[in-house]
Amino acid sequence: MQEVKEVKDIGKVQDKNFRRLRRGGFSVPLFSHFPSFHLLRSLSVSILVFSATLHSQTTQPAASAPLSHDLSGVWMQYPDGDIPGIPGMNAVDDRTRPPLTPWGKEKFDAARPLVGPRAVPGEENNPALRCDPDGPPKLLNLPNPFEIVQIPGRMLMFFELEHIWREIWMDGRPLPKDPDPTYLGYSVGRWEGDTFIVETIGFNDKLWDDSFGNPRSDQTQLTERYRRLNENTLELQIIIDDPKAYTKPWVSPPKLHKLERGWEIAEWFCVLDEEAAYDKVVRKPAGVAPAGKK
Amino acid sequence: MTEVEEVKEVQEIKEAEEGKQEHILRRARRSGFSVPLLPKLLLFPLPLLLLLSFFYFSPNLPAQTTPSTGASPWSHDLGGVWMPFPDKRENGEPVISGIEEKTRPPLTPWGQARFDAAIPFLGPRIQPGKENNPSLLCEPEAVPKSLILPNPFEIVQIPGRVFMFFEEFHLWRTIWTDGRALPKNPDPTYLGYSVGKWEGDTLVVETIGFNDKPWVDAYGNPRSEQMHLTERYRRVDHDTLELSIVIDDPKAYTKTWISSPRRFKFEPGWEIGEYFCTVDEEQDYAGRIRKPAGGGPSAAPQPDLKK
Repeated sequence: MQEVKEVKDIGKVQDKNFRRLRRGGFSVPLFSHFPSFHLLRSLSVSILVFSATLHSQTTQPAASAPLSHDLSGVWMQYPDGDIPGIPGMNAVDDRTRPPLTPWGKEKFDAARPLVGPRAVPGEENNPALRCDPDGPPKLLNLPNPFEIVQIPGRMLMFFELEHIWREIWMDGRPLPKDPDPTYLGYSVGRWEGDTFIVETIGFNDKLWDDSFGNPRSDQTQLTERYRRLNENTLELQIIIDDPKAYTKPWVSPPKLHKLERGWEIAEWFCVLDEEAAYDKVVRKPAGVAPAGKK
Repeated sequence: MTEVEEVKEVQEIKEAEEGKQEHILRRARRSGFSVPLLPKLLLFPLPLLLLLSFFYFSPNLPAQTTPSTGASPWSHDLGGVWMPFPDKRENGEPVISGIEEKTRPPLTPWGQARFDAAIPFLGPRIQPGKENNPSLLCEPEAVPKSLILPNPFEIVQIPGRVFMFFEEFHLWRTIWTDGRALPKNPDPTYLGYSVGKWEGDTLVVETIGFNDKPWVDAYGNPRSEQMHLTERYRRVDHDTLELSIVIDDPKAYTKTWISSPRRFKFEPGWEIGEYFCTVDEEQDYAGRIRKPAGGGPSAAPQPDLKK
């Protein structure tokens, strides 16, 4: 059994993300516009003036930015996983997972993931191996692109993974009282300042929350907080409140996504024959599961 | 039946269907102009009403009622949830329409081999216990089959794109309407690559780049990676969408397969539900419903039932 660590400094992690973003977000695009360093040096004074202006701007409410209520586009996780340059599966971060309930523990122990320290070659029972649909929050955790399209009253999300789409109602309707349990649940969203908050209930308990076998019950209330930090960067924070599976709400640190202009979401369906072949060839090349994340 | 006879029969059916199509169009036009106008007019203040009535009775009227493309406010707007009208045989049995087997051209040898290998779970060719419809393994239904099953779909239009959301298997597809051309040599996929353009008040969708895995219908008719699919959508009145499907697949069929139009009803207030295919549920359903006593469904064609 892994040790569940309490992370008390989520705020710090979040702050670090902000800082990194501000540094990277403002400096890199600026520099890339100036191919000549000579030219850059001659402009250094104006840059200083500009950055001073920036500094004063960051204190203003971000809602004034023209893109703050527009999340549309194709988004891809920033490569900030444990392996350098590779997007990590940490939008649902199991280092911050609260203790499991007895029900949750039973489900967790029965789960045989493909990855991580608990992977047992040949015994994997990840529902994705049967091409069951992946739903949120796992869908948001995997390192594949998604597209957001905003239409009146609704936000549509298109995931490359398994060609899944979901809709988030933002016409002011409340969450339904007693929805039928589904893979994707029923989602409503609203803007609070420049943060788009999605609340989802009505999940079934067939899927895992992540790739490591952490369970999802039908009592899950999922909160996603989206914020477009600048034109190219979307921040997503996932909060899982599932009293049947976890003793406390599971708050993961925010994860950043990069805008990918010109990308189109390709067709990728899960098909049983192909999945079994992939499993044989790629996932377990010599009968051994790939190295775990921890 | 010789090929000449078959061709003649197809021609006769086509002519009959064209006549039916005209009739549908006429009926739709009649209702389309009269019904929605009236309640709107009642909301207008009296002076405006008088003004409008002046135009209404003006000599320009006959010119206005002749069908002009793009005249109605919804003619370039296909947005909404659409449900196929229940088509029925004379004996009351529901039928799958949109792609009609009776208008199917002769198969090529490749197509025939594929067709013979396909064992559907409805229609006259069923073999209980041996069905191999790819949807039994939850493979995506894909177009054009998704368009003919008795389940609703939603259309959403945004600039440059039309989305279609099918309740069946929770599928979605993109139709690019930003003027781009079809790709030269696309990778074969279940849904293919689709571009659309308006011709008058008809949205013409062209799709290529299919793989040859799904069937085009529930009866095992094949599709190859050479299939060029054309869908013609026309909102004949506010509540009615008409779709004509043309399959041009020279690897599977000796001629172009032209089916008569199918109509869909506008369903405001409907939401597309979540209906995923999962293998356990699918096989459970196949065991209990499709083959309740190990026998298999009746030989009469039945709709591809919602699982």
